[in-house]
Amino acid sequence: MKKTWKRTLSVGITAALAAGMLAGCGGSADTAGSAGTSGTQSGAGADGEKVLTFGCQNYGDGLVDPTNQTNAAWNLMRYGVGEALFKFNDNMEVEPWLAESYEVTDDHLTWTIKLRDDVKFSDGCEMTATKVKESLDRLKVEGPKGSSGPEKFLEYEAEITADDAANTITIQTVTAYPNLPGNLAYPVMAIVDVADTTDWNNGVIGTGPYVIETFTDQVGYTLVANENYREEVPYDRVELLYMSDASAKAMALKNGQVDLVENITNVSDIQELQNDENFTVDIASGVRCGFSWINFNGVLGNDALRQAVIMGIDDEAICASNLIGGLYTPGYSVLPSNLEYGYDTLENPFAFDVEAATKLLDDAGIVDTDGNGIRELDGQDIVLDYVYYDNRLLKEFAQAHHQYLTAIGIEVNEREGSSDDQWSSLVAGDYDFNANNWTTVGNGDPTEYMANWCSTSSANYCGYVNEEYDKLYAQLVTETDPDTRTEIITRLQQILIDDAAVLVDGYYNSSMIYSRNVGYAHIHTADYYWLSTEIVPAE
Amino acid sequence: MKKENFFIKSLISRKNRDMRPSRQSPNGHASMSAWLVARGNKTFTIFGILAILIVLTAVFAPVITGGVSPTEGELMNAIQPPGPGHIFGTDKLGRDIFTRVIYGARISLTAAFAVVILIFVIGTFLGILAGYFGGVVDTVIMRIADMLISFPGLVLALAVAGIMGASIRNAVIAIAVVSWTKYARLARSLVLKIRHRDFVAAAIVSGSKTPYILFRYMLPNALPTLVITAATDIGSMMLELASLSFLGFGAKAPAAEWGLMLNEGRAYMQAAPWLMVFPGLAIFITVVVFNMLGDSLRDILDPRDE
Repeated sequence: MKKTWKRTLSVGITAALAAGMLAGCGGSADTAGSAGTSGTQSGAGADGEKVLTFGCQNYGDGLVDPTNQTNAAWNLMRYGVGEALFKFNDNMEVEPWLAESYEVTDDHLTWTIKLRDDVKFSDGCEMTATKVKESLDRLKVEGPKGSSGPEKFLEYEAEITADDAANTITIQTVTAYPNLPGNLAYPVMAIVDVADTTDWNNGVIGTGPYVIETFTDQVGYTLVANENYREEVPYDRVELLYMSDASAKAMALKNGQVDLVENITNVSDIQELQNDENFTVDIASGVRCGFSWINFNGVLGNDALRQAVIMGIDDEAICASNLIGGLYTPGYSVLPSNLEYGYDTLENPFAFDVEAATKLLDDAGIVDTDGNGIRELDGQDIVLDYVYYDNRLLKEFAQAHHQYLTAIGIEVNEREGSSDDQWSSLVAGDYDFNANNWTTVGNGDPTEYMANWCSTSSANYCGYVNEEYDKLYAQLVTETDPDTRTEIITRLQQILIDDAAVLVDGYYNSSMIYSRNVGYAHIHTADYYWLSTEIVPAE
Repeated sequence: MKKENFFIKSLISRKNRDMRPSRQSPNGHASMSAWLVARGNKTFTIFGILAILIVLTAVFAPVITGGVSPTEGELMNAIQPPGPGHIFGTDKLGRDIFTRVIYGARISLTAAFAVVILIFVIGTFLGILAGYFGGVVDTVIMRIADMLISFPGLVLALAVAGIMGASIRNAVIAIAVVSWTKYARLARSLVLKIRHRDFVAAAIVSGSKTPYILFRYMLPNALPTLVITAATDIGSMMLELASLSFLGFGAKAPAAEWGLMLNEGRAYMQAAPWLMVFPGLAIFITVVVFNMLGDSLRDILDPRDE
C-alpha cells in the first residue's frame, strides 16, 4: 500500500514538473499575437514620446568611427547618425545627399561639388565647405591606422580645396575616377564633425536624423532625434538593441520587445512572419551575389565536368523552395539581374538539364566504372571539396548542390568552417567549390569585384585564365565612358558564363520586418542604409 | 617433491572455487544462471525485446522504409508537415524524415556499440595490466587516465574530434579516447582486490604463466562489474555521439544521423517542429530502452544482490 502511494506520488511530481516545463516553453506563444500592446517598451513612450525599438546584428563591436573599419563606417550610416555627400537609390544610381550637384572636367581629374546650404551637424554647427574638407582630410590621417581603406575610394594624393563663400569643395585627383560620386557615397566617406567629435568610438557627430545619446557595450545604442536636422525626424528616441541570432530577432519581434528588425536570415521564421498579418516583411533585391569560386587548378579544371556540374543544378528550384524561401533571386551571372549591366542580354548555355548533363559526362568518358555510384575522372572517384560557412544561406545552397550533384554521380565533401576558414582555403587553393556572398557594387561599380576572375589580378584565387577577359578588364579599369563600361561589363559576364567559371547561387535579398507599431519601413538595395526618416511610427 | 606439488595444486583449485562466485565462472555457468534470473525478470525481458526490436529496425531499414533513400529528396517537397506519403513529414531538402529516422538507427547503434566495445576492451586490458603489475606500469597507465579525467569528457572529445575532422568514425575514436579511463580504473581496483590473495601467489609459485593468470583469474573477477558498466553506458555513449554530431563534429551531411538531424532542424524549431521532434524522440526512446536494459542487467548480475 505504502509502495503504491509512493509510486503514485513520484509519478504525480514528474508529471507536474513536465507540465511546468512545457508551460514555460509555451509562454511565448501566448504573447505572440500581442505585438503592439507592449506598453512603454515600444511604440509610444510614457509622455507621448515616440520611441522605436530596433533589433539588429552587432557588427564591428558597435564602433562608429568610419576610419576604424568598414563595419564601423557602415554602423555610422546604418544607425542614421552619419550621411555622405552622395547616396545610392534602389537601382544603385548615385544621387546627391549632402551635396546638391557636381561638375567634372573631361579628364575626370577635377571634381567640383556644390554642397547643400541647409545642413547642420547634430551639435548645431553648420556643415560648411571647410567642415567637409576637414572630414575628408581626416581620412588621410586616420585612414592608414584603421582597416577601412578610404584610399580605395579616394586616393590620399587627392587635393581638396574648400570654398565657403560658394559652398563648394573641389577635389583634384591624380588618377582619373570614372565615377567619384559613387565612391563618395560609400559609408567610409561619411561627413563627420571632426573639430567637435570627442568620442570617436561611440559618439561621432554626424548630420543624420539621429544623434547618439548613450552606448552600452554588447547591448546597443540609445539614439535621439537630431534637433538640427533639415527635416522633421519621425521618432523622438530609438532604442537600438543588438541581437545576433536570427531566431532571437524573430521571437523578440513577435513578443513585442522590438518594433523593427533587419535581416532575419532564417527562412522558416521569415515565412511565418510573412503569413502573420501583424507584421510586414519588406524584402529588397540586394546587390549581393551568392556564388562559389570554382578551382580551375583542381579536378574542376575539366571543362565537361564543370559544365555538367552547372547543368546538373536547378538553381531556380532551389531559390523557389522552402529551403531558400525567396531570400535569393535566382540567376546565372555574377552580377545581380536588377543592376543595369545587361543581364537580359546574357545567354546561358548551361541551364538546368539533368539528361544533357549526364550525356555530357558520358560522352567525355567521365563514367562510373566500378559501380559505386560515383563517376571517375582519370581513374579517381570524383569527390568535390565544397567549402562554405554558415552565412546568408550558403550552407543551405551547399547542401542542395550536394543533393543535385549526387544525382548525376558526382560526390561532394562538404567542409563547413568559419568565414576565416573559408577565406584561408580560398587563398590556399584548397577547395573545389568555395562559397561566399559578395557585395558586387559596394561603391556603385563592379570593377573591383570583377577582378576576382582576371588572371593578372591579385584577387584571382581560382586559377581562371581567359585572355579576352583579362584584356577587357584592363580596358575597364581606365574606361570612363559609362556606355562603354556597361558594354565591357556585360561581355565580361558572358565570358564567365560561357566558360562555366562560376557556380552562381543567386542574388541575396535583404529584409526588414516590422510590427504594427511602425507605419512604414524599407530596406534598401545597398544594405548600409537602415535608420532614416523614411521609417515612421504607425498613425 | 611430487607430493608437495600436488598439495599446492589442489589448494589452488579449492581456493579458486571458493573465490570465484559460481555465476562468474568462465565455463558457461554465469550465462546460464543469468538466463535463469532473466526469465524471472520482467523489466529485463521487456527492454531486451525492445532493444532487439530497435536492432532489427536498423538491420531491416530498407525493408521498413520501402526502399526510399534517406539521402535523396525533392526540393519541391521541402518542409512538408507529417501527412500521407510522408508520415513524419519532410526536412529542408525534401527528404523523408521517417526514412531518415529509421536509417539513423543504423549509424547510432553501430557507433554506440563500437564505442562501448572499444572502451570496454581497451579500458579493461589496461586496467588489469595496471592492477596486476603495479609499479611503473600502474603509474603510467593511471596517470594518463588521471590526465584524461581532469578534463570534462565531452569538451575533450570535441577537441579530439575537432582536430581529427568531422566524421562518425572520428567521433567514435574521440569518445573512446576520453571514456576508456572509467573501465581502466574499475578493472584496476577489482584486480587489486584479489592481487595479493594467496591463490594468486600460489598460482605464481606453481609456475602459472602471467597471461594465464590474467585471463584465468584476473579477468573473470573484473568482468561482471565491467559488463554491467558497459551495458549502462550504451545509452550515454549514444547521447554523446548525438551531441558531437549535433555540434558538427560527428556525422557529416547528408548522413541520416539523429544528432545531425536535430541540428538541421534547429532553425525550424518553431515553424516546423517535426524536423526536431522525430529524431529527438528516436534518441529518447533508444537511450531509455538501452539504459533500462543496462539497469535491469545490473539488477541481475550485481554481486551485491547475492
